[in-house]
Amino acid sequence: MAIHKILFASLLICLLIQSSHAATKERLFSDLEKSALEDTATPSRVGEGVGVDKLSITWKVSSTATKEPEFKAIKVKLCYAPASQVDRPWRKTENELFKDKSCPHKISSWSYDPAMKAGQSFDYTLERDIPTGTYFVRAYAVDTKDHEVAFGQSTNEDKTTNIFSVQAISGRHKSLDIASVCFSVFSVVALLVFFVNEKRKAKIEQSK
Amino acid sequence: MGDSTGEPGSSMHGVTGREQTFAFSVASPIVPTDKTAKFDLPVDSEHKATVFKLFSFAKPHMRTFHLSWISFSTCFVSTFAAAPLVPIIRENLNLTKQDIGNAGVASVSGSIFSRLVMGAVCDLLGPRYGCAFLVMLSAPTVFSMSFVHDAGGFITVRFMIGFCLATFVSCQYWMSTMFNSQIIGLVNGTAAGWGNMGGGITQLLMPIVYEIIRRCGATAFTAWRIAFFVPGWLHIIMGVLVLNLGQDLPDGNRSALEKKGEVAKDKFGKIMWYAVTNYRTWIFVLLYGYSMGVELSTDNVIAEYFFDRFHLKLHTAGIIAACFGMANFFARPAGGYASDLAARYFGMRGRLWALWIIQTLGGLFCVWLGRANTLVTAVVAMILFSLGAQAACGATFAIVPFVSRRALGIISGLTGAGGNFGSGLTQLIFFSTSRFTTEQGITWMGVMIVACTLPVTLIHFPQWGSMFLPPSKDPVKGTEEHYYASEWNEQEKEKNMHQGSLRFAENAKSEGGRRVRSGATPPGNTPNNV
Repeated sequence: MAIHKILFASLLICLLIQSSHAATKERLFSDLEKSALEDTATPSRVGEGVGVDKLSITWKVSSTATKEPEFKAIKVKLCYAPASQVDRPWRKTENELFKDKSCPHKISSWSYDPAMKAGQSFDYTLERDIPTGTYFVRAYAVDTKDHEVAFGQSTNEDKTTNIFSVQAISGRHKSLDIASVCFSVFSVVALLVFFVNEKRKAKIEQSK
Repeated sequence: MGDSTGEPGSSMHGVTGREQTFAFSVASPIVPTDKTAKFDLPVDSEHKATVFKLFSFAKPHMRTFHLSWISFSTCFVSTFAAAPLVPIIRENLNLTKQDIGNAGVASVSGSIFSRLVMGAVCDLLGPRYGCAFLVMLSAPTVFSMSFVHDAGGFITVRFMIGFCLATFVSCQYWMSTMFNSQIIGLVNGTAAGWGNMGGGITQLLMPIVYEIIRRCGATAFTAWRIAFFVPGWLHIIMGVLVLNLGQDLPDGNRSALEKKGEVAKDKFGKIMWYAVTNYRTWIFVLLYGYSMGVELSTDNVIAEYFFDRFHLKLHTAGIIAACFGMANFFARPAGGYASDLAARYFGMRGRLWALWIIQTLGGLFCVWLGRANTLVTAVVAMILFSLGAQAACGATFAIVPFVSRRALGIISGLTGAGGNFGSGLTQLIFFSTSRFTTEQGITWMGVMIVACTLPVTLIHFPQWGSMFLPPSKDPVKGTEEHYYASEWNEQEKEKNMHQGSLRFAENAKSEGGRRVRSGATPPGNTPNNV
């Protein structure tokens, strides 16, 4: 039957596509050169319940870096500390770089030339869609093919030191709350008004 | 199945999705057309329509149909509105996987109870008010999403919004006051299927609304809250339309009490007893939990799954997730039709086999979905899974009316509740813990579907047989009359209360298959006047 042919053909196509995907070798985080870059990230306006507004970030190329000639750009990212990854598989750390989801927030990127060995220092204002959690900063060095070759982070390998925490904005607004209450009240009142009205009309009709 | 309004079970008539594709009109001479009535559609003596004209908005019949399925669909939209936005909400509220899973469970649990209450409300106030009350009183719950600031609040609000899924009952009840029982099957099956589509529409609608609001300048964490105003407004709009344009009965809004001179003819306790002691009831409760139940569970998790696993944008994940729910448009009626086709050749045994095959295939495709590693295979597997699960829903309600004549309403209600219960259970086991990744959860859900469909083999009708056993050759016990009349005791039989069951038994003889077909029209079926 025609439907069988269609199903079989689509199955074949899917298998073909799947096998072509498997051809690329996965790039691993563990292959990257560690500590090629030295990062620091200092939050300003630290306080309980007040939250962090700005991060002062510096990065520079470490003297021990061996892959330095390959660097074409430096990408700085905000990464989740282990405490913020618990029970949240969408933030999981994976060795395969394309699967890794622990550093989803881009801070900035810089084109690299050897004159920039001494590094950069800049301020980053936190975006308003950064969730509540604990973070550190990581800088990746990428080559001409946009593949990561080295990295450095503002914390140690176990991600226990120099972690700072962020309190997200709630997203709530007074105007939103008021609008919500207004519409809710309108809905209930409209219903009651209609109901009472109809009952009254029915009574008038009956008494006629 | 011509029942007057008010009799227990009459509100659930036609929940089946079977034999409707041909049953667009009643041409049977049993139903005389009332020629004095001035309606857009031909009507019977109760002024219920005998024709189903899909693209008409004529009042009162087709208008009721459209008001009804759209309000039911709106409730599906708001119940599952959070699902495609979870990737944003989880960051705003700092949710864990358990929180998200629990919210999903909560969203389907509320309606288990509200559907039972709604039956009583429809009896007291009529389906128009039942629908309008529920839709407009649940609008505040949708709007209260803007206040949510933590996991507890999120779970509570999703639980409260979930109550509005009880519009299913008002929808079906309202249809049965407006449409003749010979075509109620098609009407209710279409209304149920199109209503369920709301679960797919919302996956498309909410990400687009969110995107538009964000482009207008709102931050992510505010935009999703504003997006919830859209389903809230839909509730209010539909409520107002139902109140203004709808009417309780074909002849007007006369208070249902006036017409209802008689209280329910049967005793609730007795009906409950016969429903509960029939083992087939519980098998169908389980089965529906793994066809409708998994459909609801998947509505809750699929968008987030595609977003996370395949690194898609939010609205792309939404489009794919929408395909799942939208397949209801034709998949559910198709399942009913497949069951009817099987019955034509093999009788009830054919229906049982059809159900088992369709639902098991759905389960296998679900396993494939969980194991798919590329986007294309995942989408293909998802679509096939949706067809299997939704067709199984249609095929289930093609058999349920034959389980009992006296207790049809309660059995249908229990089966429906089983759907929600199965959904809550599945989400609790597989999608609320860190034990399984979402893809593992989906795989195991598929395995569970296959396992929980096996009990179909146990369903045996003495008069028609089961999947593996032929019908009983006993001249007394192997008849339809014996099966349906056994629900009445001797005193009731003396009062001739079982006449309806006997009539039904006569019509049900066609479920014996081709060789037994006596030429009598199957219940609820119209003669094939293609």
